[in-house]
Amino acid sequence: MQNTSWIPLFPEQASTFAWQVDLLYAYLIVVSVAFTIPIVAAVFFFALKYRATEKYATPDEIHGSMVLEVVWSIIPFVISMTIFLGGAVIYYQQFTPPADSMDIYVVGKQWMWKVQHETGQREINELHVPVGRNIKLTMTTEDVLHDFDIPAFRTKADVVPGRYTYMWFNATKPGKYHLFCAEYCGLNHSGMGGWVYVMEQRDFDNWLSGNVSGQTPVEAGKDLFENKLGCASCHSGGPTQRGAKLEGIFNNDVKLVGGDVVKADDNYIRNSILNPASQIVEGYQPIMPTFKGQVTEEQLNSLVSYIKSLTPNATTGTAMAPAANAMAAPAANANNVPAANKPAAKSLANSSK
Amino acid sequence: MSTHSDTHEHHHAPGLQHQFEDMKQQEESVSIGMWMFLVQEIMFFGGLFTVYLVFRSKYPMAFAAGSNHLDAFLGGLNTLVLIVSSLTMALTVYYAQKGNRNMQVILIVLTMIFGATFLGVKAIEYADKYNHGLVPVTGLNKKIKEEKKGEHGVGHETGHEKPCYDVDHNAPVVEHPNPKGEFLWTDCSLAKLGLDTNTLTTDEKNGYFSNEQIDADKFRDKVRIFFWIYFVMTGLHALHMIIGLGLMAWLGWKAFRNTYSAEYYMPVEMSGLYWHFVDIVWIFLFPLLYLLGRHFLH
Amino acid sequence: MQTQEAIVQGLAAEPKLNYLTNGWTIKSWLLTKDHKRIAIMYLISVSVFFFMGGLYAGAIRLELLTPASDLLESGTYNKVFTQHGILMIFFFLIPSIPAILGNFLLPLMIGAKDLALPRINLLSLYIYWAGGALVLFALMQGGIDTGWTFYAPYSTTFSNTYVMLVGLGIFINGFSSILTGLNFIVTIHTMRAPGMTWFRLPLFVWAHYATSLVMILGTPVIAITILLLALERVGKIGIFDPSIGGDPILFQHLFWFYSHPAVYIMILPGMGVISELISNFSRKKIFGYEFIAFSSIAIAVFGFLVWGHHMFISGQSMYAGLVFSFLTMVVAVPSAIKVFNWTATLYKGSITFDTPMLYALGFLGLFLIGGLTGLFLGAMGLTVHLTDTYFIVAHFHYVMVGGQVIAYLGGIHYWWPKMTGKMYSEFWGKISAMLIFVGFNLTFFPQFILGYLGMPRRYASYPEELQVLNIFSTAGASVLGVGLLMPVVYLGHSLIFGKAAGDNPWMLPGLEWRTASPPPTENFEKMPVVTWEAYEFGEENGLDLEGARKRDAEAIPTT
Repeated sequence: MQNTSWIPLFPEQASTFAWQVDLLYAYLIVVSVAFTIPIVAAVFFFALKYRATEKYATPDEIHGSMVLEVVWSIIPFVISMTIFLGGAVIYYQQFTPPADSMDIYVVGKQWMWKVQHETGQREINELHVPVGRNIKLTMTTEDVLHDFDIPAFRTKADVVPGRYTYMWFNATKPGKYHLFCAEYCGLNHSGMGGWVYVMEQRDFDNWLSGNVSGQTPVEAGKDLFENKLGCASCHSGGPTQRGAKLEGIFNNDVKLVGGDVVKADDNYIRNSILNPASQIVEGYQPIMPTFKGQVTEEQLNSLVSYIKSLTPNATTGTAMAPAANAMAAPAANANNVPAANKPAAKSLANSSK
Repeated sequence: MSTHSDTHEHHHAPGLQHQFEDMKQQEESVSIGMWMFLVQEIMFFGGLFTVYLVFRSKYPMAFAAGSNHLDAFLGGLNTLVLIVSSLTMALTVYYAQKGNRNMQVILIVLTMIFGATFLGVKAIEYADKYNHGLVPVTGLNKKIKEEKKGEHGVGHETGHEKPCYDVDHNAPVVEHPNPKGEFLWTDCSLAKLGLDTNTLTTDEKNGYFSNEQIDADKFRDKVRIFFWIYFVMTGLHALHMIIGLGLMAWLGWKAFRNTYSAEYYMPVEMSGLYWHFVDIVWIFLFPLLYLLGRHFLH
Repeated sequence: MQTQEAIVQGLAAEPKLNYLTNGWTIKSWLLTKDHKRIAIMYLISVSVFFFMGGLYAGAIRLELLTPASDLLESGTYNKVFTQHGILMIFFFLIPSIPAILGNFLLPLMIGAKDLALPRINLLSLYIYWAGGALVLFALMQGGIDTGWTFYAPYSTTFSNTYVMLVGLGIFINGFSSILTGLNFIVTIHTMRAPGMTWFRLPLFVWAHYATSLVMILGTPVIAITILLLALERVGKIGIFDPSIGGDPILFQHLFWFYSHPAVYIMILPGMGVISELISNFSRKKIFGYEFIAFSSIAIAVFGFLVWGHHMFISGQSMYAGLVFSFLTMVVAVPSAIKVFNWTATLYKGSITFDTPMLYALGFLGLFLIGGLTGLFLGAMGLTVHLTDTYFIVAHFHYVMVGGQVIAYLGGIHYWWPKMTGKMYSEFWGKISAMLIFVGFNLTFFPQFILGYLGMPRRYASYPEELQVLNIFSTAGASVLGVGLLMPVVYLGHSLIFGKAAGDNPWMLPGLEWRTASPPPTENFEKMPVVTWEAYEFGEENGLDLEGARKRDAEAIPTT
């Protein structure tokens, strides 16, 4: 939402049915005002005109009026029927995906969205879609109820364990839009979200083929860690986090369940990402999903570089370090956070307070 | 009943409470109150019946399988016992209106005997579920130590290796090792039957099968839901029976003290309404839990 | 029994004894069967829950002052909003008007000595205490974080907070509500004084009749649902958890089958209070009595058919959604009828602006907004965008706080002289009514905009661009908080220092005003006989208006 006004009033319209929803909203506002103003005016007028001039007066009785009752039953009923019809028509569109839709699969999980494209690309807490195409999302969840909500597209749908639910949209404007989880799902509910990127078809094709901009491995790793893979939702180091703390572990000893002590070198980190269950840190549950197949080797290297950067003054490299580590930047300090990462960085900072 | 001394001038009818003007008003109030109470009871059990209906229509085969395991004879016997107890209850009201103390006491004692019989039979049935490992809560089943491997083929522990629909109904009952008191269910023959006769719903296909194979664990979960509903429904019903027995004991004592007469018999009539209601709930429970789906077995 | 005799003797010796002075021991309160004493005990306990819930609300608003979750960590925040909802809904909104005002006034209004089943009434108070104690115990143990809706499977399987304890507390508390409803229905049917026909009943009584129907028909369903939920946590059985064959949507159906009608349990008695206030403070017969009375019943009945509008995006079928949306629109009509009739009642009245009337006029405006935004949410296409956002939060607070709480406060101010025999400070009463009105609008109106912008509910942190509106909201909440605390002070003050109110300070015709303030234990010196229609303010109905004018003329110079 690139809303720059001081008090935002309307969210951006970025899908084909957004204007319809906004139109219905405007119609309802008009109806509401048309009811409220006369009634409030009448209340004020009567209250002033007929204020008591004498104590304990007994004004004339008026029992009621059949005509008025019928009129003010039928008029609201008719108006409410127009609202009902308008709502039903839009609802029908919102939940009837066109046949020629591009399929994307979404899995919700406490507290991240895992997205898979038909071409095999996977992303986490992000959704890249081309502009002007019908996109159909087929969704389910691994645990509790979630709700895939993109306000700018004026649509959302609950994601229910044990069954598939569907939603669709056709984005009209390239840009970056909020993605929320709108159904309460536990501890980190408000952190379960990210961004929807609507791109021109050409950019989208580029994105699909894996071209990424020129970031340093640490920056790229940070981006992966905090946004793309959502590692931060478990590993941001707060006291209630479900994942092990990563700050300052590199090249130090880690105590595993079962009593083994290992040194957290590059291989340890890499193995923890690919085979999490094989080495559980003491005090944590074996709940981390494997990222095997979801991260490319380059991304893996970036991640390892980033995690190393969390340990200041780490001596780089061991004998078995992958070659890419040679390029790893020295310890990153908190100031060189790229602008785009700010919200996530903030939540990281806050939850560790 | 009321210990209230009357501060106002009305006549002292037995059992008239201070807030009422006369017996007619009191009787009307108590009667409407009781009916309202029964309405809320209907809604209470109605919620449970809804849950039953939803799962029955989702997993009919699993429910038939569970249903077949209930003892229809004992259930039928209990139905009979309750119907007779309703008769004795109705007669109690009749004799209370007549003011016949002895018949009241005899009939109340009879009603209580029937009620206790019902609970006794229920206890036998519950014990049977306990012994067969069919209580749906882990740890609440009979715990049998694990025996030497290979002695019995169809134990819970080995159920995963052997397809669970190969159950020989004529085989002697074996005690399955169940050290943790888990829910045991080994018979998936109805899922197989449903597959063969092509009568399974989509929910059932998703619910019983993994990779086109009958999944014993998944089928067991569905049968477990049946037994869970069975225990919650009959358990709440039994709780109502126990409360009813308490009510009867109190009523019997009052009748013994010759409290009721043609003028004042409201408590008997109201307890009667309650008793009949509890009976009627059972009249619904019996066919739904014991009888529906029995024909699948044979 | 000794106390009973003491009461009898006391009554004989001192006929002016009222329900408050009739017995001073703790036992005489805890074992009372007097509906008025039970109402007072409800008033105290419900207020405790209200202010606890209010503290949680304050914590929520403070946390939302900044976009990040910095004041409360998100786990704590989840518990705070859950407990705010549970305390406010189950322990304040549902019992407040029926159990306090209804309990106190129903027998007085229909001319009865007590409710039909006084012991059941006392039992329901004890059940309320038991349920409340269990929930408070659970909160002290560590609380609950499922949201007040307890959606499965989070509540059955994933939450490791005290879901079972709280669930049992709500289960138990439900029976308090059922027994109260049962008692009211019986009382209205059988305990009316001679001449008090159905269409002479005050509309407050009609509203409570409708409410009681909902209580009896709906509450058992939530009781069994919550019981199944609690048992599911013990037994790990898949009634609601899909991973072992259950159905989470079934939970939502059962939950909303009660919880939507429960909204009417909360608002219908409020509407009853407003009917009383509008008619009495404009000294004019209510416009369209029958329409207001039957619209209450219509709301109660249709209220049971619209639960599915909470589930438009839960994956229920489109056709079910259509039916529920249609019925939701239908149920809006009786509410509209009420608002029109109230407005028309003001026409050619003789309106005074005492504190209760200010609340009533405030209610009209707020309920109008609350009701109209309900239409936004009943329109399916729009609700897809609005549901689970702050628009919902604002909407139900407009109905619940702007409707029910305002009506409740209006009612408390209106009947305070009757309940205590003392008059509060009119000046502070008006100040606080206005503060509440302003604070409330400032708190919740910005949330409509936040909702349309897409801010999801139950979020501990939110995007930065939404901060300005949240600051407005928090600022409003602080005004609202002050406004809500003030009555505690000046009403408490009036108990000791307040002027004696007199039996009928506003010279109103209702039966409750035709007995002493505070009323004697059995309400009336002798059984009243009703010969007038509802809301007739003339002298011919036994109101000594001339005498009252004289009384005022004498009283004013001396003060």
